[in-house]
Amino acid sequence: MKRRDFLKNASLASLSLPFVSNGFSMQAVAKELFEYSKNAEDRVLVLIRMNGGNDGLNMVFPIDQYANLAIQRPNILIPQNQLLNLTSDLALHPKMTGMQDMFNNGKLSVIQNVGYPEANRSHFRSMDIWSTGALDINQTSGWLGRYFDSTYPNFPADYPNANFPDPFAISMGSEVSTTCQGLMGNFSHAVNDPFNTSNLLLTSVTNDGTYYGSHIEYISTLINQTNEYGTSISASANAGNSLSTMYDPLNPLAVQLKYIAQMISGGLKTKVYIVNIGGFDTHDSQVDQTNLSEGNHALLLKMISDAVAAFQNDLHLLGLEQRVAGMTFSEFGRQIASNGSYGTDHGDAAPILLFGSCVSTGIIGPNPTIDNQINEQAGVPMQIDFRNVYASILRDWFEAPEPSIQALFEQNISYLDILSGCSVGIAEQEALKLKPLVYPNPTPSNVTLRFQSKGEQYQIFIMDQQGKALAVAFDGQLNSGKQEMALETSKLPAGHYYFLITSTNTRELVAFQKI
Amino acid sequence: MQVYTGPWTKAEAAHLLRRTTFGATNQQILTAVANGMNATVNSILQIPISDEPLAYDAGETIVPQGSSWVNAVYPANQTQNQQTENARFKSLGAWIAKNMNQEQLCIAEKMAFFWQNHFGVTASAEARAMYHFLALLRQNSLGNFKQLVKDVTIHPAMLLFLNGATNNVFSPNENYSRELLELFSIGKGNQIATGDYSTYTEIDVAAGAKIMTGYTVSGIRSSTATQATASFNSILHDNSSKTLSYHFNGQVVSGAGATEYANYIDVIFAQPQVAKYICTKLYRYFVNYDITPSIQTDVIDVLAQTLITNNYEILPVMQQLLTSDHFYDMSVRGAIIRNPIEMIMGAMNPTQTMPNFGLVGDYQTYISIYYVADTMGQSYLVPPSVAGWTAYYQAPAFSKLWINSTYIKKRFDIVSALVYSGVPVGTNVLKMNLLGFLNGLSNPSDAPQVIDDMCDVFFPKAINAADKLTLKLILTNGLPDFEWTLQYTDYLANPTNTTYFTPVTQRMQAVMNVILKMPQFQTI
Repeated sequence: MKRRDFLKNASLASLSLPFVSNGFSMQAVAKELFEYSKNAEDRVLVLIRMNGGNDGLNMVFPIDQYANLAIQRPNILIPQNQLLNLTSDLALHPKMTGMQDMFNNGKLSVIQNVGYPEANRSHFRSMDIWSTGALDINQTSGWLGRYFDSTYPNFPADYPNANFPDPFAISMGSEVSTTCQGLMGNFSHAVNDPFNTSNLLLTSVTNDGTYYGSHIEYISTLINQTNEYGTSISASANAGNSLSTMYDPLNPLAVQLKYIAQMISGGLKTKVYIVNIGGFDTHDSQVDQTNLSEGNHALLLKMISDAVAAFQNDLHLLGLEQRVAGMTFSEFGRQIASNGSYGTDHGDAAPILLFGSCVSTGIIGPNPTIDNQINEQAGVPMQIDFRNVYASILRDWFEAPEPSIQALFEQNISYLDILSGCSVGIAEQEALKLKPLVYPNPTPSNVTLRFQSKGEQYQIFIMDQQGKALAVAFDGQLNSGKQEMALETSKLPAGHYYFLITSTNTRELVAFQKI
Repeated sequence: MQVYTGPWTKAEAAHLLRRTTFGATNQQILTAVANGMNATVNSILQIPISDEPLAYDAGETIVPQGSSWVNAVYPANQTQNQQTENARFKSLGAWIAKNMNQEQLCIAEKMAFFWQNHFGVTASAEARAMYHFLALLRQNSLGNFKQLVKDVTIHPAMLLFLNGATNNVFSPNENYSRELLELFSIGKGNQIATGDYSTYTEIDVAAGAKIMTGYTVSGIRSSTATQATASFNSILHDNSSKTLSYHFNGQVVSGAGATEYANYIDVIFAQPQVAKYICTKLYRYFVNYDITPSIQTDVIDVLAQTLITNNYEILPVMQQLLTSDHFYDMSVRGAIIRNPIEMIMGAMNPTQTMPNFGLVGDYQTYISIYYVADTMGQSYLVPPSVAGWTAYYQAPAFSKLWINSTYIKKRFDIVSALVYSGVPVGTNVLKMNLLGFLNGLSNPSDAPQVIDDMCDVFFPKAINAADKLTLKLILTNGLPDFEWTLQYTDYLANPTNTTYFTPVTQRMQAVMNVILKMPQFQTI
């Protein structure tokens, strides 16, 4: 925790949201603020880039649209009875059992139909858009690179240093990530194997102001950084642990996520890790003709689901779950109608998967609507702008102040509540929020209610849609912090309900559905 | 754009050779100085005929070791078929590295890689088809761009790579159609409306897919056919009228069956933007990544006009570029970071380091070198995507993308191996030809002259006096210059006596190890 950062956050918060007193002493808020910022400082984001354009409709299935999907993609659509249900109208690919478990445990959420206006179906342009977080073709810095630039403006000059000994971001593999491209340098450091880093010849050169000069300065800086970062990375990896037995050593994504768990548990201060998985450009043979739940896409989805489930299990065993969140993304989804080669062509929007024990809610956004007529080249329309997802991650996870987040993006940001499951709020108003989450939701029997307790006497009621209290689900004193309580709902008839959570200072509703 | 008329010294000649070949010796640079710019450029622009790759791996079960397999059938037995395919791909990869290591002093190999990067074909289809595809690119590398795009469009390797072979009237597949516009010919501009990329629209992508329907590929890895063959089947062709967007004046392409694709490519190439697009890529590959407004008007547009005037012949464009004053401008010297192959060959070729282990040993060594470049991000037969390698298009970093913390370590590792221990391949060890290199310099017994020559060969610009002094002190082991002269003279008098050649070798190892790890060497 850097004292300077804390002070900066504190002053911004006090400017934008004046403290009001209703039972909270200023001292208590300040203390909470301190711990809260410390949490943000320690948080880690893992990005999984699915390269090639992921067929969202073959990953997350809108069950209520199944009949029309059968019209659109008869040669590739997996039989409904093989799908893994998440809710009554949404299901996962049969190979994604690991992620289904995570969803049932409140550790996975789906953001539906994510994309951007005026979809561009070029792999390269669209990946640029996703990496830069901007539709402006002249934007060359990455969305995370701009965020880092705004906090560490002189990078890469004088980095690493005593305060920042570790890379800000690590890109697993051999290439740095364009999401981390800053104005002057790339904030990500490529790491193939954290146990085998480099110690290279030291050299110093001066930039004569030409292209050549900028190259040799770049290479020289990189050599020096490689030496210093390499030392801290391998020290962390060696000090770190991995406890899960679920990693498959033959699954390359699992191997990389295991490395990440080891680096985090070893104390590396890196904030962002990026892993890549290619092969999603499934123009042909997306599915196995003889068994539609097998095939190239199935293998990829299994790889991701198994690897992420193992990683989450590891974080749980290491006691790091509340520090790590992850997200998948791909440059675009694919067309709704399949082609004759048992594949799909470039399309538009697709779902994003968020994982971690701090994800906010189960399903964000409605199912896409699938037409019963085949429209050539039609893709899934965008409902949620990916830039709002990025901005919400910066706010919820890295606790960046909203005005500085807005400055990173070209459009007016509209925030989504996606990663606030572990936050306790920077300002008092925020701090009062309970951030309740019910899962599984909808539920066939009982549920778990998760919320941030403020250490008060709580009463929790089950309400019907007319606002009538049907039962008291809980009545008692709760310690401060995240609470997870199993509540009896199995006897309720099918329908829509709320939990009403009340205390001296709070009153909040959270909806759930019984099926 | 004026013809270059400035001084023609080692610096200019070496610059030309660094950009157009994989590495010249000190003597080759001196010869280019003596011959002058025009004669040197003319000679560089001759594309020689290349030998075919030869069978060497035990997995090849059809042709005998040492014979070409490019027109040979495959085994019928499925296991043997796969073994033979693997063996042929290894032979093909080795052949690529061999061509670059043993190149005549000409642009052929650099141009061949330019086109491999341009079309971005991953060799997944069949080794024979991939060989013929690469041979097509190489032999026509300075030929007609329009014809090359037509030939590539219906080449089995491309039909298989971008689903052209399964694109038919019953299920059009847009994969090739999109890349033809976006990457291979006119290039994609800014998106100005939904589905409108300012040079073409989604309408053209869909129409193009229909225009090119009907081609299939047969004979893939066949035990009877000596080639994978593309053929046109009119039943599979979409005979409807295909109307292009306003970018192509709403032209209708139809009624030509098997040659409809060629008519369509003619329509695309009628747009002058095609010439600007390919000239931009040539400029980025041979000169510099940064296209300023004045470079656009004074260089790219001029080259594009030359290309159009010559009906899309590439040769006159390269002739104009390589003899232009801009090409030799100090501001663009060293403006490109070497790709991995340029780095490896840039160490091997100027020192005439090459295997001499017989057919099998040589091919094994070359496939190892191919894999070394692969681990640094450049697998020649497997571009990262159909757009080629990011270093050639990804702003703002461009060629900086070839180097990062992982890759720089690998670059240093291969230098250490070549210079000191040698690269072990089976029972053979490939070591840098340090004494041969030293003996070929202008005055090997003179330490400052040795360092001057090495800087000319390995660095794109002069280095400062302090660095030169450091390098010289490494060569002389900190002793006065005359001690090096004595040591070298003793060695010359007793070239096989280990007492004399070992100290000279060790000093050359020390200085070469530093030079090839200096940031300056990483640029061309």
